[in-house]
This record gives sequence, C-alpha cells and structure tokens, in this order.
Amino acid sequence: MIEELAKNLVNLKQEFTKVYVGTSHIQEVIPIHKSKMFPIDENHLQLLHHFAKNNPIYYNFYEQKILEIPCIVYEGDINKYWLNSIQYGSSHAPFSPTWIMSAYVSMLFAKDFGFLEIIDIGSGDGRIAYCAKILNLESYSIEIDEMLVNLQKPLSNILNFHPHCSDAVQFDYSLLNLQKPVFFIGGLAQMGGIELATGVLKKISLILKNVGWVFAGTYSLKYNSDPKNNAGWGTFMDEHNLKHIQSILLPTVWTFHESDATPYIFTQANE
Amino acid sequence: MTSLDDISKMFHIEFEKLDKLINSITPQSELPIHEIIELYYHIINMSSMIAMLKQQVDSNYPKSLVGKILETEKIISEKFNLDIHPQIMTKLVNSIHDTTVNLQSSDSTQKSKDDVENEAKRYEELRQKMSTQEFVEQYDKGLSYD
Repeated sequence: MIEELAKNLVNLKQEFTKVYVGTSHIQEVIPIHKSKMFPIDENHLQLLHHFAKNNPIYYNFYEQKILEIPCIVYEGDINKYWLNSIQYGSSHAPFSPTWIMSAYVSMLFAKDFGFLEIIDIGSGDGRIAYCAKILNLESYSIEIDEMLVNLQKPLSNILNFHPHCSDAVQFDYSLLNLQKPVFFIGGLAQMGGIELATGVLKKISLILKNVGWVFAGTYSLKYNSDPKNNAGWGTFMDEHNLKHIQSILLPTVWTFHESDATPYIFTQANE
Repeated sequence: MTSLDDISKMFHIEFEKLDKLINSITPQSELPIHEIIELYYHIINMSSMIAMLKQQVDSNYPKSLVGKILETEKIISEKFNLDIHPQIMTKLVNSIHDTTVNLQSSDSTQKSKDDVENEAKRYEELRQKMSTQEFVEQYDKGLSYD
C-alpha cells in the first residue's frame, strides 16, 4: 500500500511538471483531501499543509487539480539558504529539500520497517523529522547551518521534532537514548553524502548495532555511477556491511525538471 | 583523408576567428558569460590543434602554416594568458563579490511574488558566474602545469 502511494506521488509529480506554468525557484504539491490515490489520514494532510503554510521558504500557494486530485501548489525560493551555505562552507551539500509529501511517505516506510526513532542528518528545514513526528515516531533533526536551524525553530512549535544546530559528525548521539533508530542522510553520495554518512556511522557504531540508514541516491548520468549500484551508495553499503531493505522512488525539489524521481535506499546494519 | 592544404585552410580560418575575438577585447570590456565560454573554448581548441600539428610538422609543411602556428602560440601565450585571461578572472571575482553582497543586503521582508522571482533570476546569474569562474580557474591551473 505504501509502495502504491509512492508510485502515485511520482505520477502526480510527473503530471504537475507538465501543467505547471509558474516560474518559481522551487515548487511542490500536496493533495487537499484523502482520496483513492492518496489514502492519507485527513489530520496528517492538514499537518503537512500547516508545515508548508508556516514555512517562510514558500511565498505563494494556490489550488489546482492535478490528475483530477485537488491539490495545493506551493511556490518557494531557497536561494538565500544556498548562498549562505556555500559562502561559509558550513555544509556538506547545499540545502535542497525533498518534497513534503515524499518526506511523509518515506516516514511511512520507516515506521512500517519497525524503526522507533528518526534522526534526520542535514535536515534543512526539518521536514523529514516533522513528518516522523506526525506518525508518532520520535524524531531529531541535526543541521549544521544556523540559518536553517532558525528556520526550523518556529516550525518545531507545531510538532516538536527537536532541532539541533550541530555538526552531525561531532554530535553526541548517546544523549538521545536511542533504541531502534533510522538515520536519514541528506546529500547524494556524489555531493558529500559519503563523507557525511561515514562520519556519522563511525560515531553510531560505537554505541548502537541495530541501526537503519536511508540514503538519497541518483541514477542521473550527470554523476559518476557506483560500480556496485544502489544509486551511488553500493560501495559504501558493502564497505559498512549494510543490508539493502528497499528502494523507493520519490519526488524531490532537485529532480523537479527531470523525468526521474529520487531513489531512497533503505538499509540496515547486518547483525 | 585530409590534405595538408585542407589543414592549413582550416587553421587559417580558426586563426582569423581567434584574432577577431582577441582584438575585440579591451580592458573596459564586460564580456557576457557566453562570450567568455566561447573565447576559452576557442583558445583550448587552437592549443590542441597546435599540439597535434607540431607533432607532425616536417619539411612538407607549408611555411605559411608554420608561421601561423607560431603567431597563434604567441597570441595565446602573451596576449591571452598574460593579459586577457587575468583580466577576465579579476572581473569575474569582483562581479561575483558584488552580486553576492547585493543579494545578501536585499531586504527579505514583505516581498511580492514578482520581487522574489526577479531576485531568483539574479541568483541564477550568480550561479552561472560561479560556474564560469570554476571553468576559468581550471584553465588557469592548466597554465601553472605548463
């Protein structure tokens, strides 16, 4: 059922790219109501809209039917965060978010796989951690860029997803008293993701064994492919003995103009 | 098979293009990004052609072709590498700095949709300048290995 939801979201995005006539820097859609294609709890949908409407990166929104599904289109701009991140060299990869709906669907998978806590590494505006909280998972958001953490703070007043302004490679994870966590790594393997994941994994392996890892990948020819595949993460997974659980395709801001969606690779440490 | 005459003709044509491009640049020139890229590609192409031709040069080569090769080398090493290329690097650095400061000082409160989208175009221009700077820096690194 969650796989179907993910497929429907990718179809919705593909149709949206055809009908979108705006010129905003970033844009995404969220269905207004529960439907056959999107059988999502109405309260959860309202919380997703609440996140978008209170998020200063979006400056405009309007209703539009896409594939006969009434949706709200959110138009935004993240340029100033990009400029801040590259100027101070504070981050492994510039901020470019997944779609809010994709964050929600990936959290459905994480919950379905039995994880109890979500730690979003390089969390941007905190949408993944926020969506985890919607599903009653404990969540923590780790972001090195202070400007982005300041963006998260008011959003965490809606649902407290515990924003931390910290270098994820230095953060003391033992403070979180984790039981069965899954770590979401922000950044493609080829865009600093490997360095970030390596640093965090080294810290975690000292305190926990039964840990999940989710990586955002790419099959784009723009990037070097990995000889062991898994959307750029295959070699890393082999080297760190991570077992593949599932790969799902979901829309992201950075693939909006591309025909492919972003593959999210769910893995777990081999015990 | 391409004859020496064809090669010579082609080299002369490419030389004329290069000469025209180089002579159109003054210290006051503000080259748009696409012209900077075009200029560097032309320089890189001519340098590759020269490297290839010099490997094959022998007594059969027309004197006019050998002369043009030497003249082109001189233009690239003296006029372009020592004068125009540093100018372009400096202008790019200054332009990126000015645009960055300008965008950072822009008031982020109460912007209309049009304001945000117009500003996004300036961010896009900044990204293009930064990519061009990277490209030009790569050329510069190549010079230091020569």
